[in-house]
Amino acid sequence: MKGKQWYQTTDVVETYETKRFSQGGQLIDDREKRAVLDAIGPVGEKRVLEIACGTGRFTTLLAERGADIVGLDISSPMLREGRAKAVRAGVDSNIEFVRGDAARLPFPDDFFDTVFAMRFFHLADRPASFLAEMCRVSAEQVFFDTFNGRSTRSAYNWLLPMGSRLYGDSEVERLLAGAGLSLASAEHDFVLPYGLYRKLPNDLAADLRELDVALGETPVGDFLASVSYWNARVG
Amino acid sequence: MNESLLEIVCCPLDKHDLDLEVIQRTDEEIAEGRLVCTECGEEYPIEDGIPNLLPPDMRDG
Repeated sequence: MKGKQWYQTTDVVETYETKRFSQGGQLIDDREKRAVLDAIGPVGEKRVLEIACGTGRFTTLLAERGADIVGLDISSPMLREGRAKAVRAGVDSNIEFVRGDAARLPFPDDFFDTVFAMRFFHLADRPASFLAEMCRVSAEQVFFDTFNGRSTRSAYNWLLPMGSRLYGDSEVERLLAGAGLSLASAEHDFVLPYGLYRKLPNDLAADLRELDVALGETPVGDFLASVSYWNARVG
Repeated sequence: MNESLLEIVCCPLDKHDLDLEVIQRTDEEIAEGRLVCTECGEEYPIEDGIPNLLPPDMRDG
């Protein structure tokens, strides 16, 4: 089953966060949230669009920090979960959720200050058209992550139920240029793959993460990283 | 959805403005209704307070 269908099944939505972000997965959640805040914060008063917002992990995070944010996803069950989360966090007045297609966004040109997508491009069958569309509706910034082809993730990638597309640096650079974006900064992390952290209890995961960060700081760290965060400017 | 979203969203097909037809309104928001493209006339449903702006060819996925 491909990602588009897999993420829309209700039992996947119900267990989405507990499967990924409890135990050692908490470290992944923390790192991803830091990546988003580092790249696009401070967000007060900013108009932000999140593509493939899923259960709204980042949508709510940014609304809590004052962003005027729209979360778009293809999946109704995910969006309902996102709305419930926003209500619980008391930020539903500055979040809107919209069901839509990332390749044909229902927004005018240059409307948002920042458009971002996390864990989206590994599911994207047409990354060039998605990135061009993100660029079209953004006036300033586009931010996204990729999973990397040369990394440890490739060892188990073929086992994943949602299918997963892996990228190389030069491919991302070509995609950015093709969409009319220029790279402002990039970060590379997780020499050890996400799948490993999810299996571990907190203490062990924290120890492993220390080792991972140390490996990441060696000369081969960036090369072996399984995840990259790409911060690009429009134009 | 809040009525203010109308200032942001447009038709995913031709990017023209949308008109709002309310079916059910609660204190805070529009729970059920339709968004209709002022140009091509395509209708997009609002379901459980979430506008479905998927292009028609993807709507029943």
